[in-house]
Amino acid sequence: MNSPNHRLDALRGGVAPVDHNARTIAALAGNPGCDRRAVLDAAGIHKQSIAVHLGHPAPFGQSPFALDRARAFEELVKADGCAHLVRLLRETLGLSVPEVAYTDIADVGGNTAHQLRHTRTLAELRRAAEDGERSGTLFDHPLLKLPVAGHEVYLEPSVIAFQIRGRFHIVEIKSFAVIDGTADSGQVAAASRLSAVYVYALKALFRAEGIDPDRVSHEVVLVCPKDFANHPTATLLDVRQQLASLNRQLSRLTRIDRILDHLPPELTFSLEQSPAELARAIRTVEARYAPECLSACEMAYFCRADARVCGSVDVLGRATRDELGGLESIDAVLDLTAGDRLTSPEQAEIADQLRYVRAVYREHASAGAEAVA
Amino acid sequence: MELDALEARITELRGEIRLAKAGGDDDAKVRRLRAELRTAERAWDDALDRGSEPDDAPPLLPIREQVHQALTLLGAPSASRVIVAVNDAFFAGRVAATQLTSLRRDEERSFRSSPYARPYYLCAALTAELLSPARGLLAISTWPVAVRIIGPLSPRTDFLTSAIRVAEHMTRLTGAGGSASSGAYRLLTRMARNIPGAVEGFGRADPARVVGAANAELVVHQENDRRDRHAAAERATTRLDEVTRLFGAGLRSASAS
Amino acid sequence: MVFIPLKLAGEAAAPLGAMVGTDPAEPHLLVVPQPRNRDLRFAFMSELAQIMLPYIEGFATAKETVSGRNERERYLDAPQVIVPGRRGVEFVRLLGRSTRFRRSDGPYPVDPSVPVLGQWLTFLYERGELAGSSALLAMTDALSLHWATGQSPMEDANLATLLAWISPPPGLTGQEAAAAAENPIDRPPAGPDTDPGFDAQVLQPAIRAYDASGSPALVRQALRTQLEPTWRLMWEAVDLMRALPEAASVAERWAIDRDQYTREVTRLAEGGPPRGRRDQAGPAAIRLWDMEGAQQSYDAQRAYDDPLVMTEHRAAGKAFTGEAVHVDADRKILLPGGKKPVPRPLVTVRTSDPVRLTPGKRVFSVHRRRQSGEIVEIDGDLIVVQLNDQLAKGAGVPTPGDAVCFTELDLGGRIRPGFPTGEETPWTHGGPPAAYVPTDEDAVEAWS
Repeated sequence: MNSPNHRLDALRGGVAPVDHNARTIAALAGNPGCDRRAVLDAAGIHKQSIAVHLGHPAPFGQSPFALDRARAFEELVKADGCAHLVRLLRETLGLSVPEVAYTDIADVGGNTAHQLRHTRTLAELRRAAEDGERSGTLFDHPLLKLPVAGHEVYLEPSVIAFQIRGRFHIVEIKSFAVIDGTADSGQVAAASRLSAVYVYALKALFRAEGIDPDRVSHEVVLVCPKDFANHPTATLLDVRQQLASLNRQLSRLTRIDRILDHLPPELTFSLEQSPAELARAIRTVEARYAPECLSACEMAYFCRADARVCGSVDVLGRATRDELGGLESIDAVLDLTAGDRLTSPEQAEIADQLRYVRAVYREHASAGAEAVA
Repeated sequence: MELDALEARITELRGEIRLAKAGGDDDAKVRRLRAELRTAERAWDDALDRGSEPDDAPPLLPIREQVHQALTLLGAPSASRVIVAVNDAFFAGRVAATQLTSLRRDEERSFRSSPYARPYYLCAALTAELLSPARGLLAISTWPVAVRIIGPLSPRTDFLTSAIRVAEHMTRLTGAGGSASSGAYRLLTRMARNIPGAVEGFGRADPARVVGAANAELVVHQENDRRDRHAAAERATTRLDEVTRLFGAGLRSASAS
Repeated sequence: MVFIPLKLAGEAAAPLGAMVGTDPAEPHLLVVPQPRNRDLRFAFMSELAQIMLPYIEGFATAKETVSGRNERERYLDAPQVIVPGRRGVEFVRLLGRSTRFRRSDGPYPVDPSVPVLGQWLTFLYERGELAGSSALLAMTDALSLHWATGQSPMEDANLATLLAWISPPPGLTGQEAAAAAENPIDRPPAGPDTDPGFDAQVLQPAIRAYDASGSPALVRQALRTQLEPTWRLMWEAVDLMRALPEAASVAERWAIDRDQYTREVTRLAEGGPPRGRRDQAGPAAIRLWDMEGAQQSYDAQRAYDDPLVMTEHRAAGKAFTGEAVHVDADRKILLPGGKKPVPRPLVTVRTSDPVRLTPGKRVFSVHRRRQSGEIVEIDGDLIVVQLNDQLAKGAGVPTPGDAVCFTELDLGGRIRPGFPTGEETPWTHGGPPAAYVPTDEDAVEAWS
């Protein structure tokens, strides 16, 4: 009766869980140390609603221009039976000329129900894995399924799994440009994390079907526009590292009960409570705030406000936090600097440095403003 | 003068709406602002239109005939994007992709109410496995069923076939003393880039060379594709009624039959 | 010149508009009413060239002659372009990259000013990559060098919140002001990326209105609301920076910018070709060397100029300050291979700094720039330094009781070693490269 799923339903307060998608799963791997995010995500809680209720909405959103552009580019790559893609795969991976078979799984006989599409995806991939090259090269709109924290999540990739000489690859189509051979590193990293989720799900699916998961390649084919034109170009991305961190984070989610065990049994994040009550409830689960959260997690502005109130050094960024070697609050740093605090042996070095810097700054402050350039 | 004042008001209202939405104001206020915005935008449109002449001369041919013309040239089931491109390159160029979205449904309605009243219908291509309508493709009802079947290799063979047909049509035009438009060369070059050996570098594609290169690849797939298509066509002829044979079977009817 | 470019979301380098100018009271607003239209983009670039080129080329007037080993002419002043942040700097690079290969004849001709502007934007970007250059600055970087805030470096990259911390309105703390400045409606993003909410609710309808009517008025109005707040912030920041005293090395660094500007004016006047898409092995190695050298000199100059910057090096043990407690000014030693003893005075310094230098280490005197010495002995808080140069006629030696500061930071001026010429490029680096010749293909490259 107190199964984790039961607990998570209670936390959500009776509303239906939100669906995960590749983006939210990829984001999980971004801050693996954060219990708050782990619990909220495991329970399928709509974090933006919580943040709005708490008075700290996060300004996330995508421009309609970016969405239009992404859609138009994907259509271009897939046009004419994936003619562009076939060319790129022949160039980068040496796909042989007869390998052009294309199967669209966007619907099954006009029906777009997830379960049907997933079953069809399974059947197609199984047949391709068993029969070899003859029975399928490109699979458009496959629908994968991945268990996340006890829930089945459908992953609806805008990507194609294809096989070449018996190995399956994920193709990720992105509309950011590769200019003179280089692309924005942040966007490449995001694309790697995202496609790692698909690779992970495809491997999991193979394993469950009794097919060797090593037949799924850890190399993803990234298709982007070249330079300033619309002409698609392809690059291979090795996502082994992203797979490893995803693996770690997802297995943590399945052990979510360990975190749940430490929470009060009556705890709920229902939006029926007042913002103050909800804030209290949220605070019972520890967060690990870092400024990077601001671009990745809907809860970030709430967590930052909390971190500021507590005077946590986390708000200053990871570099500063690491330099302060284990001191957690700004007050502690100041006390240590002023010598108002007993120094434990492991703090001796950082305390010496802080006091020294303070002494020098005082020297200059008393020397007056003219010394400052 | 009037336009300037209206523009200022429109900008102001948009700002207020964003503020209201971001501030979580009640829906009534947002709705009121939206209504005001719509009124202002209409007034702006009216002010602008005053005196300007409508420029929509009627097209020379009805849409369905223009689509028929383009499909006949292509010789294979095609997506609306390709139909528009061919129409631009060779014909009047008055078809917009948005006009094609409801075409198939309209044709189906017309066929159901009085079958075979027209010489041809613009209909669906059928997936080989389930004989359901293939997404986004248009075909002509008078084509043999096998041409309208889409098996795993068909997207590629149809693409190669279309490239050959486009190239041959250009050869015909130039052979008859006419000339193909630069739009036609752009279309052919775009297709040729994705066919091995059909074009070199960034130059313009040569129709004869495109035909040769596309045929060379077509030979590789043709036999298997033909087998898949004919098997499915046989099933379609025996199992489907005359409506579904043209417009495709839904999942239920296909599995029930 | 302040330059605030905006780009269309989802595109690599589709300009949407810009506010640009040298007078806070007179911003020039340029817009591309339909950013997907290539002709309108080039029209924008040519309009931008009408404003930027007279400014940039306007410094090529009065010259001075620099004497010395490498005698040359140099303009007395040079252009400086300031953008809000680092993404603005990157956008300058992309604008330069997408326009410098264009031609005013042949297929897809553009206005002749467009490729010239492309070359200058490329020049500014490449100068900006070298530490210590002020040719192209990101305002947030410039401010962060002089002010520390209570937020993370990531948040400091937002001009509005950074300025809110530095000079909050009366009655607010920096933190409160920064929180208020995060609202994208009051403080639109400083670009080049626009707020997605603005794109959906304001810009998209405005662009549609242009498509329907041909009137760019709504787009202009929309972009003005996004650019004007940043324009004001930029000049507020300029005022803050101007109020700071100039550091001792600024003139020296600006002289390098002027030198490079002078060279580029000459190069372009001689019809110099646009820089290729990628550096070849030789120039790339030289550039890397120059960048390292510039970084080293710049770090050292900042520390020499600003005692607070030097503090960081002192805390890290790479510099020390103290009192000269004993000076042996007349000491002479015989150098290996030398015939006559030469003066090598010894200075003993008492310091409370945590020194991590070791005997034998070469150090420099901060008070007598470019004088070098080496550490002879360290004994507790006493450090003995032997002075090695700049000792003519007994000058350059401190007297007991003087405050002194020594550091391992080298002001630089190191001589670039001989790199192989293009023809000598070793096979490991691909062998001698084909010289870059601007191609027709580059000139008509699609920009869609």
